[in-house]
Amino acid sequence: MKKKLLILPSIFFFIILSIFFYLLIIERNPSELPSNLLNKNVPIFETESLFKNEKFISSQEFKNEIILVNFFATWCKPCRDEHVYIKRFSNKKGIKVIGINYKDNSKKTIKWLKNLGNPYSDVLIDKNGRVAIDWGVYGIPETFIVNSKGIIKYRHVGPITNEIYKKINLIINENE
Amino acid sequence: MTTYLGNFLLSLSLFFAISQFFVSKKNKFKFITITVNGLLISSLLSFGLLMYSHIISDFSILNVFQNSHTTKPLFYKISGVWGNHEGSMLLWILVLTIFNYFIFKLYNKNNSIFIAKTLEIQAFITTGFILFTILTSNPFQRMFPEQANGLGFNPILQDPALAIHPPLLYIGYVGFSAAFSISVATLTLNNNEKVPWYNYMKPFVLAAWTFLTIGIALGAVWAYYELGWGGWWFWDPVENASFMPWLLGTALLHSLIIVEKRKSLQAWVLLLAILAFLLSVIGTFLVRSGILTSVHTFALDPSRGIYILAFTALLGGYSLVLFGKKSKKYFNTNYFALFSREGSILINNILMVIICATVFLGTIYPLLIEAFTNNKISVGEPYFNSTAVPIMLPAILVMGVGPILAWNREEKSKIFKKILPSVLLTGIMSGLIFSIYQSYNFIGIAGIILAFWIISNNIIILFKQKKNYSSGMLVAHLGIGLLILGITGSSIWQEEKITRLQINTSAQINKYNIIFKEINEAKGPNYVALKGNFTVYDEKKNIITKLEPENRYYPITNSFTTEASIHTNLARDLYIVLGDGNLSEGWVVKIYYNPLVIWIWIGALIIFIGGIISISNNLKKIKILS
Repeated sequence: MKKKLLILPSIFFFIILSIFFYLLIIERNPSELPSNLLNKNVPIFETESLFKNEKFISSQEFKNEIILVNFFATWCKPCRDEHVYIKRFSNKKGIKVIGINYKDNSKKTIKWLKNLGNPYSDVLIDKNGRVAIDWGVYGIPETFIVNSKGIIKYRHVGPITNEIYKKINLIINENE
Repeated sequence: MTTYLGNFLLSLSLFFAISQFFVSKKNKFKFITITVNGLLISSLLSFGLLMYSHIISDFSILNVFQNSHTTKPLFYKISGVWGNHEGSMLLWILVLTIFNYFIFKLYNKNNSIFIAKTLEIQAFITTGFILFTILTSNPFQRMFPEQANGLGFNPILQDPALAIHPPLLYIGYVGFSAAFSISVATLTLNNNEKVPWYNYMKPFVLAAWTFLTIGIALGAVWAYYELGWGGWWFWDPVENASFMPWLLGTALLHSLIIVEKRKSLQAWVLLLAILAFLLSVIGTFLVRSGILTSVHTFALDPSRGIYILAFTALLGGYSLVLFGKKSKKYFNTNYFALFSREGSILINNILMVIICATVFLGTIYPLLIEAFTNNKISVGEPYFNSTAVPIMLPAILVMGVGPILAWNREEKSKIFKKILPSVLLTGIMSGLIFSIYQSYNFIGIAGIILAFWIISNNIIILFKQKKNYSSGMLVAHLGIGLLILGITGSSIWQEEKITRLQINTSAQINKYNIIFKEINEAKGPNYVALKGNFTVYDEKKNIITKLEPENRYYPITNSFTTEASIHTNLARDLYIVLGDGNLSEGWVVKIYYNPLVIWIWIGALIIFIGGIISISNNLKKIKILS
C-alpha cells in the first residue's frame, strides 16, 4: 500500500507536464482576449461624426453591409503603424470602414487624416471614451468586424499586422 | 571576433560539464578538480565577455544590439546583460557552476562517494542548461551588418531594484539544484557511506531560501515603485512561480531541522528537495515559453518551451521514479508528540505545502480549463486572497508558538507561563495600533495581532539571550513578523483616489490635502518627461512634502513609463501617479495612502540578515563535520 503511494508524485508530475506539452504544440495565442460581444449585436450608441453634421445612431447604421470598426487616436503610435492596412480595407469592395476617434482632439485628427490619408467612410467622435466602454475596448488600436446583420464576428486587440490582415480578410470573405 | 570567442567559451563550458559528469561517475578526484574549476572559469569568462560587450556597446553582437544603447547609463548597461532571455541564461549557468564549486569544496575522504555522486547529478543539470543556451538561446550571435547603435533597453526595467533582482532570484532557484542533487545522490547511494546528508543539504537550502526571499522582495519593490499600480504583489503567474519554490523551501528548511534533531521525516525532506527544484525549473518554463502571459514575458519561442519541458520531464521523471523506488529505506517510526517544537514544525510544514498546492492550482487552472474545454478564464487576486491567505493565518499562529515549545514534549502546565509575557506585549502593541488606524475586519485584526505575536515572541527570546536558540532563526522570524505587519496594514488600510486635477486644484486623501501646483517638462539621460508638482499639507496646513511624479517617454524604444512619486515614513506611504491629461481639462491623478508599507521592506531585509547568520553558523557546523 505504502509503496504504491510513493509513485503518486511522479504520476501527478507527468499529468501536469503532458498538459503543458499539449498547450505548447497546439496553435494558441496567450495574448488573445476573448470578447463577450462575439456573435452578439453591436452595442447601441449615439455620437457626433467628425465630418458629417448629423448624429450617428448605431441602430440605423449597422445593417445591410459588412462594417469594419476601428478604434484609433492620433496620439497612439501603433495606430499610425496599422494605418496602411486600414487603407487597404477601405479599397476593398463590399465593406465599409468606420473609425472611432478615441479621446482625441478633433483638429489634430483632421490634420492627421489629411497627412496619412483618410480610409474611413465615417469618423465618429468618442471624446470621453463612452463608446469604447460600450464596446468593451481593452486598449487602442482595436478592430471589430460586424456582419451585415449587425452581429460582431471578430475582435482584434492591438495593431493590425500582416498576419492579422490576412486573417481579417478571410473572415470578411466568409461573411459575405 | 567576440562571437567566436564567446561560442568557444560556451563550448568549453559544455565540454567541462560533460567531462565532470563522467569523471564524477568514476570518482577520480584529480579529474574532478580540473573539470569543476574549468567549468567555473569558462562560465565566468563567457559571462564576463558578454558583460564587457554590453559595457563597450559592441553592436556586432545581436544580443547587445537588441538590448542596449550607447546612451544607457553604465549601471543599466551591466544589468542589461541579464535583463534579456539569452543573457539571463548565461547568468543562470554561472550561478549553477558557482554552486557546483561549493559542493566540490565539501569533498573529503569520508564523503567522497556521496559528493562525487552529487557532482555527477549537478553536472547533468548544468549540461542541460548549457545545451539549452547554445541550441535555443545563444547570446553570442552575430549582428550583420554591424549597426551604429542599439535598439535600447525596455525602460520599465531600468530600476535599481530590478537590476539586482534576477541574480538574487537565480541564487535562490539554483541553490535548490544543489539540494536536488544531494537528494538524488542520497536516494541512489542508499546512504552506504553513512554521511549526514541533511547537514550538507542545509546550508544550500538556507542560501537558496534566503536569496529567494530577498529576490522576491526586490521584485515587489520594483512593482511598487515602477509599475505605478499602487501595490506590490499582484498574484501574477510569474510572481507565483517564485513564491511556490519559496513555500516549499520554507517547509524544506524547517523539516531539515527535525531530521537533524530526530532523524524523522527523512523521506519527506528528500521529496521536498526534489519538488522545490522542479518547481523552480517549471517556473522558468512558464516564463520563457510564453505559455502564460505576464508582465515578465520574455521573447516567445515555442522551441525553447519544448526543450525546457523535455529537460524537466527527464529530471523530474528520473528523480521522482527514483524516489518511488528507493525512499522506503528512509521511512522510520520515530514518532513524536504533536505538542512539541517538532510537532509545530510538522504542522507548519503541512500548511506550507497546502498553500503551495493552492497557489499552484490557481496558477495553472486557466491552462487546465483551456486544455480541456477551450474556454479562456483568468484566476486572479480574489481567488488567492480567499484561499491561500486564510491558510496562512494558522501557519503564522503556529509559527509564533513553535519556537517557545520544548523539543520532545512540552509540559502543558508550563506553556501558559511561557507565553504570558508575549501575550501581554502583543495586547499592548495591537491596542496601540488599532487606536491609531481604527478599522476593523476579521482578516485585518487577525493579521495585525499575529504579526505582533511573532514580533513579541522573538523580541522576548532575543532579549533573554537564551543559549539553545539559533540567533539566525530569531532574527529571521522577527523579520517575518514585521513583514506580516506591513502586508496586513497596507492591504486593509489602503485608501485610493483617482481624480482629474487642474493646476491649483486639490484632492483630499486620509488627513492629507494635496495641491497640484504645476506641470513641467524635464529631461533625463535617455528620456524626456512631464513632471507634475504636488504639495502635500496635513490637517494643520503644515507642508509635509512635495511630490513629483513623472510620465517618461523613451524615444529610442518608443515607450512610455510612469514614475510614481512616494513619500515614506514609518507609518505610511503617500503615493502619486500622474496619468493622461492636458492643460485645458486637467490631468488624471491617482493617489494612494498605503499604511506601513516600509515594514514590508524592513522585514524582508531582516529576514535576509537572519538567513545570512544561519548560513554562516551552518557552514561552521560542516567544517566541524569534516
